[in-house]
Amino acid sequence: MKQFMKLNMAIVVCSIIVFGSAYAQKNPKLTDPEIASVAVTANQVDVNYAKIALTRSKNSDVLKFAQTMSDDHTAVINQAVALVTKLKVTPKDNAVSRKLLSDAEKTKKQLIAKPAKAFDKAYIDNEVAYHKAVISTVEGLLIPQAQNAELKKLLQDVVPTLKAHLAHAEMLQKKIEKK
Amino acid sequence: MINNFKLGGIIFIYLFLLFFINGCTTPEENAINKGPEVYTVEIKNMKFQPEELTVKKGDTVIWVNHDIVTHCVTEELTKAWTSGKIAAGGSWKMAVENSYNYFCAIHEVMKGKIIVQ
Repeated sequence: MKQFMKLNMAIVVCSIIVFGSAYAQKNPKLTDPEIASVAVTANQVDVNYAKIALTRSKNSDVLKFAQTMSDDHTAVINQAVALVTKLKVTPKDNAVSRKLLSDAEKTKKQLIAKPAKAFDKAYIDNEVAYHKAVISTVEGLLIPQAQNAELKKLLQDVVPTLKAHLAHAEMLQKKIEKK
Repeated sequence: MINNFKLGGIIFIYLFLLFFINGCTTPEENAINKGPEVYTVEIKNMKFQPEELTVKKGDTVIWVNHDIVTHCVTEELTKAWTSGKIAAGGSWKMAVENSYNYFCAIHEVMKGKIIVQ
């Protein structure tokens, strides 16, 4: 469990370093199509984590939370797709979205390999770490760099949802730790 | 001309008495005479706004979901009542008979309160 947590935190820290360096403009600035791609990818990654939880967990609180993550992040993806369609923008793959996907693949493998007893804690710990990283990325990188006002507003509107998800995950984390 | 003057006088006296009688009722009587009121709670940025609402028994509260995700309104202590899912852009209303603590059972960190005076 400790190894998983260490690796998990390392992934999150690496992601923040990548995002942070982009924010510091050491990397090229993200264009709106690239920001749209990062936003959709970040939401899809959490939908995929939720799918694993829905098949592996037996805990009713965790199952309910995973369903909410799947529903909410799908709703955000639908909003983003509707907006880029309206703006006639095609999301463009980039270094940040590729890093998100490669990190997610590693985490998915770890979650799938977890013994049943340890799964709930591993999933919720990851949800806490992942939402912290995504909030940091949206607030520190995507919102400041978005050029289109509607795209910027959508990103701003999503932040309270992400923060509520984080608070919910932290609440479950405490509940699971007490067991 | 005289008839018009008389008619004008009658209308004036009638209006004066109408306002005078109405003015004699106390604010309490006015409040009692008023029917149930309708209040709105906005669900916005993952919060109930206002989080705490004071109403009178029988008043109606409408919850309007302005967020991009689905919410619900559920009595917190015993789950005595629930709105069911309120989709983005949707609303739900209830005539309030008692004070309640409520929450969104989908996003459990979202909480609100209705106080019946």
